[in-house]
Amino acid sequence: MTKGILIFAHNGPEVDYGTMSIIAGGLAKKHLDLPVSLVTDKWTIAWLKESGMYSKAESTFDKIIEIEKPRTKNTRKLHDGFYSQTIPFVNSNRFSVWDLSPYNQTLLIDSDYLIFSDRLNEYWNTDSSVMLGHSMNDITGERSGILDRRVSETGVHMFWATTVMFTKNEESRFFFKLVDFIKDNYRYYADLFRFDPRQYRNDIAFSVAKHIMNGFETEFVYTLPPILTVFDKDMLHEVNGNRLTFLIDKPLNCGDFWAATTTGVDVHIMNKQSIMRNKEKLLELV
Amino acid sequence: MNFGYLIVVSSNSEVDYLKLAYALALSIKNTQRPGYDKVALVIDNPKLVNKLKSPWVFDHVIAWDKETFWDGRSWMDQLSPFDNTVCLDADMLFLRDHSHWIDYFVENSELYIPSKAFTYRGEVITNDHYRKTFTKNNLPNLYSMFTFFKKESKTALEFFELGRYIIKNPIEFSNLFLSKQKPKVLGTDEAFALSAKILDIGDDISYNLDFPNLVHMKPMIQNWPWIADKVTEHAGFYFSTSGSLKIGNYQQYSVIHYVEKDLINDEIVSMLEEIAWDKN
Repeated sequence: MTKGILIFAHNGPEVDYGTMSIIAGGLAKKHLDLPVSLVTDKWTIAWLKESGMYSKAESTFDKIIEIEKPRTKNTRKLHDGFYSQTIPFVNSNRFSVWDLSPYNQTLLIDSDYLIFSDRLNEYWNTDSSVMLGHSMNDITGERSGILDRRVSETGVHMFWATTVMFTKNEESRFFFKLVDFIKDNYRYYADLFRFDPRQYRNDIAFSVAKHIMNGFETEFVYTLPPILTVFDKDMLHEVNGNRLTFLIDKPLNCGDFWAATTTGVDVHIMNKQSIMRNKEKLLELV
Repeated sequence: MNFGYLIVVSSNSEVDYLKLAYALALSIKNTQRPGYDKVALVIDNPKLVNKLKSPWVFDHVIAWDKETFWDGRSWMDQLSPFDNTVCLDADMLFLRDHSHWIDYFVENSELYIPSKAFTYRGEVITNDHYRKTFTKNNLPNLYSMFTFFKKESKTALEFFELGRYIIKNPIEFSNLFLSKQKPKVLGTDEAFALSAKILDIGDDISYNLDFPNLVHMKPMIQNWPWIADKVTEHAGFYFSTSGSLKIGNYQQYSVIHYVEKDLINDEIVSMLEEIAWDKN
């Protein structure tokens, strides 16, 4: 049975997801010792070539799978420290991972999820068709709110689709079809599950699908570990081997920061611009 | 094995407790296995039972009017016609077969009162919003809505006798034992918890088990980030013709203590009756 990692990357006008996916893919390949493939589009490939990164992509990825770039009306407010801008956000095609993945067992990760350990290798032999990140752990442990833990105040548990591990079978195929159905009927499910429909979120669609597939109950037995997360108001400040130093936004004190470090742990860095500012150091690790 | 469920109700000008007890008895008949589905009703006006469409759901109807409101439940050991009894609150519903719980209790317990309940999302309730008296006075956290006892048990006899004495003397017992947070009303839960504490049997009658699973629908303990008067103002109550129940987006499989008495309307009673008639 083949195992591998998959990353989706579709560049936008402000964020170079292609290069980020090389960093994330390279780190995952190094620490999990598994092949990594990229799902991307011709525009992102063109930019990788123009920016001189394509050869690095070819050496990093087992396969580069080119698909049509999905059209999107989805936008998100992306912070970089205390600066912010609203940008287009292409995230609506994750459901297609079941058809696109070249592996029997796949670990799907976000391109801003940097893997520095082999912890996720512990989960390949689990008796479950689809597993999602259990939850989000803020790096300070203090800043997550109820809408980071649930899809709505009265609603179901929020799993985090930053990491998704699945085995190709009928159950997982049905799961991703259901995610697609929820995406296509997002406002209906927003009414039913009481979440905010204004921005399509994979975390929500995947959580709702997981809840439905589990007989409308929450199930915590088969999940991937919580996602250690550094918010986009924080900044990746320095990379020194496996040690990352962050400037952590102090709530209610705009422009004031704490310092925090991680060493050898997997981390979801939501401030994409700060990943790109440190790309040389990160690429040296790959 | 002689086992049955006991429901104690009395006339009330605001709530039709007989209707709630009838719905509960129907749900027991619909879901529990033969031998585990007997129901006894204690009521101050037994003539009312004959007006129900299916009075046969009550295997025993016992006329008794010595107490009113919930105080009657503290007499459960004296009132039950069964050797092994689970006394329930009237505002509850059964949704699946739990007969195996009873096998365990009959085999292993003389008296058992659960010490945990769950939210509609399946989380163990830790919020003590309605139970400050328990936490501040270090009482065992008993939920008397599901009380198992053996009639022959001396422990149970002593426990219920003291519980009744506490209910009859609430001011004295509150002053003596609940001084850190006196309850507005010393109800059955408080009386039973205090009785267990005084007799020092809390660990014997309420040790940790994975069952019974009881969903408690009081609104302020549902882990919501705001104040709530009613659960159903925020999460829908969807009862189906097949007898299943969804609250919000959560399918319910446990025993539900729904609290809001007006949830059991004629339509839901009719659905429960249809299922009972089909089954029998």
